[in-house]
Amino acid sequence: MPARKASHPQAMAPSAPGRTRTAPPVQPGSWQTSRRMKQYSRFGMTGWVYLLASISAIEMVYALGSGPEAYERMQGVFGHPLMVLFHAISLFSVGYVVVRFFGLFPKAQPARIGPLKPPPGPVIAATLYGAWIGITLVLSAILAGGIF
Amino acid sequence: MVEVFRHDVIIVGGGAAGLRAAIAVAEADPSLSCAVVSKVYPMRSHTVSAEGGAAAVARDDDSLEMHGYDTVKGSDFLGDQDVIQYFVEQAPRELSQLERWGCPFSRNEDGTVATRAFGGMTTKRTWYATDKIGFHMLHALFQTSMKFDSIVRYDEHFVSKLVLDGGQVRGVAALDIRTGDVKLILARAVIVTTGGGGKIFPFTTNGMIKTGDGMALAYRSGVALKDMEFVQYHPTGLPGTGILITEATRGEGGHLKNSEDERFLVEYDYGVGAKAELGPRDMISRAIVQEVRAGRGIAGPYGEFVHLDLTHLGKEVIESRLPFVVELSRIYIGVDPVTERIPVRPVVHYMMGGIDTDITAATDLPGLYAAGEVACVSLNGANRLGSNSLTECLVFGARAGEEAAQFVQGTDDGNASATQTQGEEEAARLDALRGRKQGGEKLSQIRRELNKSMEEGCGVYREQASMAATVREVANLRGRVSDLRLEDESRVFNTELIAALELANMVDVAEAVANSALQRKESRGAHTCEDHPTRDDQNYLYHTLCYFDPAGPRIEKKDVTLGIWEPEERKY
Amino acid sequence: MSAKKTFVITRFDPDKDEVPKTQSYEIECQDDWKVLDAINFIKDELDASLSYRWSCRMAVCGSCGMMVDGEPKLTCKTALSDYGDTLEIEPLANFPIVRDLVVELEGFMDKVKRVKPWIVSAKEEAAHRAAATMKEGTYRQSTEELMAFKQFSMCINCLLCYSACPVVANEPDFLGPAAIALGHRYNMDSRDDGQAERNEIFRGEGTVFSCSYANECSEVCPKGVDPAAAVNQAKLNTVIDWAAGFVVSRGGDE
Repeated sequence: MPARKASHPQAMAPSAPGRTRTAPPVQPGSWQTSRRMKQYSRFGMTGWVYLLASISAIEMVYALGSGPEAYERMQGVFGHPLMVLFHAISLFSVGYVVVRFFGLFPKAQPARIGPLKPPPGPVIAATLYGAWIGITLVLSAILAGGIF
Repeated sequence: MVEVFRHDVIIVGGGAAGLRAAIAVAEADPSLSCAVVSKVYPMRSHTVSAEGGAAAVARDDDSLEMHGYDTVKGSDFLGDQDVIQYFVEQAPRELSQLERWGCPFSRNEDGTVATRAFGGMTTKRTWYATDKIGFHMLHALFQTSMKFDSIVRYDEHFVSKLVLDGGQVRGVAALDIRTGDVKLILARAVIVTTGGGGKIFPFTTNGMIKTGDGMALAYRSGVALKDMEFVQYHPTGLPGTGILITEATRGEGGHLKNSEDERFLVEYDYGVGAKAELGPRDMISRAIVQEVRAGRGIAGPYGEFVHLDLTHLGKEVIESRLPFVVELSRIYIGVDPVTERIPVRPVVHYMMGGIDTDITAATDLPGLYAAGEVACVSLNGANRLGSNSLTECLVFGARAGEEAAQFVQGTDDGNASATQTQGEEEAARLDALRGRKQGGEKLSQIRRELNKSMEEGCGVYREQASMAATVREVANLRGRVSDLRLEDESRVFNTELIAALELANMVDVAEAVANSALQRKESRGAHTCEDHPTRDDQNYLYHTLCYFDPAGPRIEKKDVTLGIWEPEERKY
Repeated sequence: MSAKKTFVITRFDPDKDEVPKTQSYEIECQDDWKVLDAINFIKDELDASLSYRWSCRMAVCGSCGMMVDGEPKLTCKTALSDYGDTLEIEPLANFPIVRDLVVELEGFMDKVKRVKPWIVSAKEEAAHRAAATMKEGTYRQSTEELMAFKQFSMCINCLLCYSACPVVANEPDFLGPAAIALGHRYNMDSRDDGQAERNEIFRGEGTVFSCSYANECSEVCPKGVDPAAAVNQAKLNTVIDWAAGFVVSRGGDE
């Protein structure tokens, strides 16, 4: 049997130690090859993208506060092909997470709140995507200087 | 040295009756420490598999008198009538309490609990939760029991001996399955709620754990097992696995059909009259066996069967009220009940007999109580009506708990060194049994032979000659079971050792069933003797008491409590 | 009809083995067997020392959960014909292993007790207790109110969801799918008044917010409970509850 990857050594551990010695918990063998778990790993990996995006956002704000030359330099960095590639990856990763989240969203609705029941799936999906795309368009217009 | 644990009340078995008793003790007196000792985690108890519903008077067109009459008639007039009266009075209170504890009963339009028709009941009084009442009841009780700090659980502990001193129960010796150590758990009262022993038969709705442990514990301590000959065959189990297909299928309007597509319960006279598929279980099981004998059964890889036809009920009714039946049929026999007929045949399901108790759930051994399927109060007499047993677990589980809580106030602990000695002896006995390589008998072989003998001698139809043969064979197996060869020497979670203890218990239970059956030379309820096909109130209106004796079991008689309903011919 | 199959089964005796190992058994299997039937045959005929839990064999007691070819399954419900010539049988993942295919369940029992899985009710209890009939002694509940929580009450505690959950594998404090689903079941029951207490627990140690939307629990659940829905509904409920706590006093408000 291929050695299974260990889970956290305290996974599902009882509050009082067991009366006999136990072997440590291991992860399911199928996790390495399962299509669903690979999707979940990719989903989790997008965290790196947010980390890097957050760092560059902080850098930009700092540059804003450090005078026009610093700001111009920052804009230059953003124009670099690698940065453009990073932005493309970020866009893809945000899209991936949002689509997955929107897909799970109907399941997270309570069956009812008082007399109110959630609207049917297509209505929820339309509202979510509509809001997302709408807000994106408005923000893009603002950033591009089209409005304000 | 065997470790000692002290509580006020011990409950052996963590199913509906045991958990209800524990809650009763905790509510009666929160200062009492109540130990629940079960060989499995309570949510695994076999209560979980009950499907149809639990009975209590609920509707305006019903009355306590009607429920009582249906029950006493269903019992073929062997049920104790004071017990039946008490039961029907308490039933609505107990089921209402269960509802308040969260059981998700199915509902009527007006929000009241819905009831369905059931076998032998003149009106709808079976409260149901789709078709998983046992599961919902057990989980509601188990989760409610977690509220009480005074209830302490010993999960996966196998009670192998009652500890006695001064003619009274003083506690139990229990094997901690996890460690292999024996614990001495002492208390002033012990309530046995371990369920029945269907696994002595080869073909049963019962799960692996139903090995009659509590019955054997009481039997070996000198308490009588009452009415053991009455074993209920549920008419509709799946061929091969024996998995239960609930009576609710017939309650909702299902039909039983033979190979000629006839509703044979209507076509021929099997005593069920206009009730047809809603007749009592013993009559319907006999009818199915007769149909097969007459050549109108349908052949299959696991023997002959008849058909349960739900197709006329419609997809909506079936999927909303019988969803578990749909799941079971699809997974275990590959049939979709919405469009196809389900193959079914009679299968051992319940034991009307059990530990002899009175109406207070007390045995004649001071400090020992019993409730639920393990006990014979007797509520069900010679045949139980479906949906009465879950209510029985609540009513008599509660009674046992209340009585035990009171009993412990007025008694003492007994002699400490006497109980300690018994604990040490039991630990030595189990240590010697574990991994016993010098034996000559194989566990699975003895179990198979026991099953085969019980099926041949104590089936739906019984004959004096085959019952006598079974009595001899079981006596022989008793000798052989003491010479088991066991392979597993480990102390930690040794399931072979548990299986060996269970097998010994099964032999005790089988002995009581076979010997009780042999001496009852009449046919009553579920006990049908081909040599004596009629009911004989003149000579046999009594409860059979079977006492353990090394030379062979001793049979005595106990009066049936009458007084409310006169015994009459049982026709529907 | 039958076929030969090989079962590679995890063995572990803490008194003899340093670490778990495997043992292979080759047996003739009937075509209509479930995985559990094969394991029972091995124990009855070949190796009585193989230890595992099982009971009802009809997928309702929850005892017989094991890993079959790396996926958590209820072995009494899993057809052998779905697999090839060799099957790997292991104890449930993410649990400490007690012996062979038996895992430690006390960790789960601790978690389940923490969510207060019982009806917390201040409503008319004294009047109800005195009642001897169904009409006086029970709550009214509409079928719609029942459906709000019914699905989450179907959990048989088989714990396959814990084996499937990546958060359970990595965060020991996480309450886990079944415990949260059970707590949520009571929160959604119209007869219960304990939402405030349970939601506080859901926000505390082992918080529901540790759930990262893997949805594996619902994929493996043999009873269609959909614990992922329960956990994510619980997230929304606890936030609403927390916010409402600033606006209205607790109790009696819906």
